[in-house]
Amino acid sequence: MSALQTTLRRTTAVLMPIGYQPSRVWCSTRATDGKFRVLDLKKKAFVPQAKKKYNKTITLPPRALSMPVDQDWTNVWPGPRTFHPATVPLALRQGYDQKRASPGKYGNAELMKIPNFLHLTPPAVKKHCSALKQFCTEWPKGLETDEDCDRHFPMTTITTDYCHSSPTIKDPKSRIVTIKIKLSTLNLDKHARDKMIRLVGDRYDEESDMLIIVTDRCPTRKQNYDYGVYVLTALYHESNNFEEWERQKQEADMEHYIWENNPSKKAYVTLTRWPEKVSDDDVKSHSIDDDMVGQKYKEAVTELLNNGEDTYTLNKYREAVLAVLLPQTEQA
Amino acid sequence: MMFLDTLSRFLPARSNYLVLSRFKHVQAARYKRSIKGNKPLTYEMAGPPHTIAHIKGWNSWNTCNMLDGLRPAETAIDDEFIRRFITGTWHDLIASEIIIKRQHNIIRIAAITVQKISVTKIYFLIGYTEELLSYWLQCPIKLELQTVEDRTAVVFKYI
Repeated sequence: MSALQTTLRRTTAVLMPIGYQPSRVWCSTRATDGKFRVLDLKKKAFVPQAKKKYNKTITLPPRALSMPVDQDWTNVWPGPRTFHPATVPLALRQGYDQKRASPGKYGNAELMKIPNFLHLTPPAVKKHCSALKQFCTEWPKGLETDEDCDRHFPMTTITTDYCHSSPTIKDPKSRIVTIKIKLSTLNLDKHARDKMIRLVGDRYDEESDMLIIVTDRCPTRKQNYDYGVYVLTALYHESNNFEEWERQKQEADMEHYIWENNPSKKAYVTLTRWPEKVSDDDVKSHSIDDDMVGQKYKEAVTELLNNGEDTYTLNKYREAVLAVLLPQTEQA
Repeated sequence: MMFLDTLSRFLPARSNYLVLSRFKHVQAARYKRSIKGNKPLTYEMAGPPHTIAHIKGWNSWNTCNMLDGLRPAETAIDDEFIRRFITGTWHDLIASEIIIKRQHNIIRIAAITVQKISVTKIYFLIGYTEELLSYWLQCPIKLELQTVEDRTAVVFKYI
């Protein structure tokens, strides 16, 4: 009997869902006790288990209360960390309440959200710097000013590294390479410089005399840099080349007004050498290096045609023309 | 809201009113008043979503949703997973929202817990959570907890 019942109870216990206690219904005592077993349908003998009481956790008082005034804060808060009210000895409050004061620092999730700079106090920064100082090298001699740097290192390469708050360190934008160089440092002659400016188009900034090449077509930074340097080299050599068809450049193709090539010079030379007749060769060979009036006239005409008409250029032109036509008035 | 009320008063057309009435009936993240007025709300729960960045902060801090940010979707899913894992692991112990802050590849998780279980168990749970999450997300995880005696310490108001 006993063996059979044990088996039965075992099987029921296995089959019954968790939480259902078959012993409560089947028998109140074990069969071996010698007592008479009672079928307890209404569960009167069942005493519900007392709810487990939570023992109060023993916690230490906040650390901030026992901190000495002259402690080293960098040891208390060595690295970035979420705000903890028991560690920070400041009476902080955070939050907005219409009727009461703002919530205090204990149990305040708002204070935990804000990134804090408690690890970047001035003494901590000083400590960092002094620790890093041993890895620093002296500033090279002869590179004291920006002009020195520009002279010795005329080319600037700009790349950007990106830091994200995510597990990946790769950013497609970091492949972009910008190469900057001052055009005057390339030692180009007049023709080469003009050709270079025409070749690079809007990559040349006239105001700062900067040639800026941005490369982003290759997948890696190294490839983009190599490509940028290749383009610069190719541009340099191509600018120094003189192609046969470049001789066909007409006066209308000139990028700006050049006085020597224009009828203005011929008119001026004719006027100064009056009454003798002047040929084209005379005009070409005529030099105005010692002629102050001629230089002024040339400057005024060039400025008027290159910069456009305004009060300043027109006035200058008027004075120059007066000096040419009525020299005695000018002297008086 | 006041603007919409005023607007709907001046717009007699029924079709317009219907559109506006949908705007007025927003329910998301707004808690219903209890009859007895004894429903506890934390500070975070007390502010509706439009008060974010005005009177309350964000619960997730990362750069993914900035212009040209990387992995915005993956980060959102990871955050949700972390929140579910922690509320389940720290069963009945978390008294605030779970704040997830990301710096480079470190994820620091902040929350307020109740001092219900022994300190040993809390230490175990911290290590367990950090270990498992860092295994799944493949990056260092830091759990930065603050404890309060009971839930009433984080209650901002009763409605």
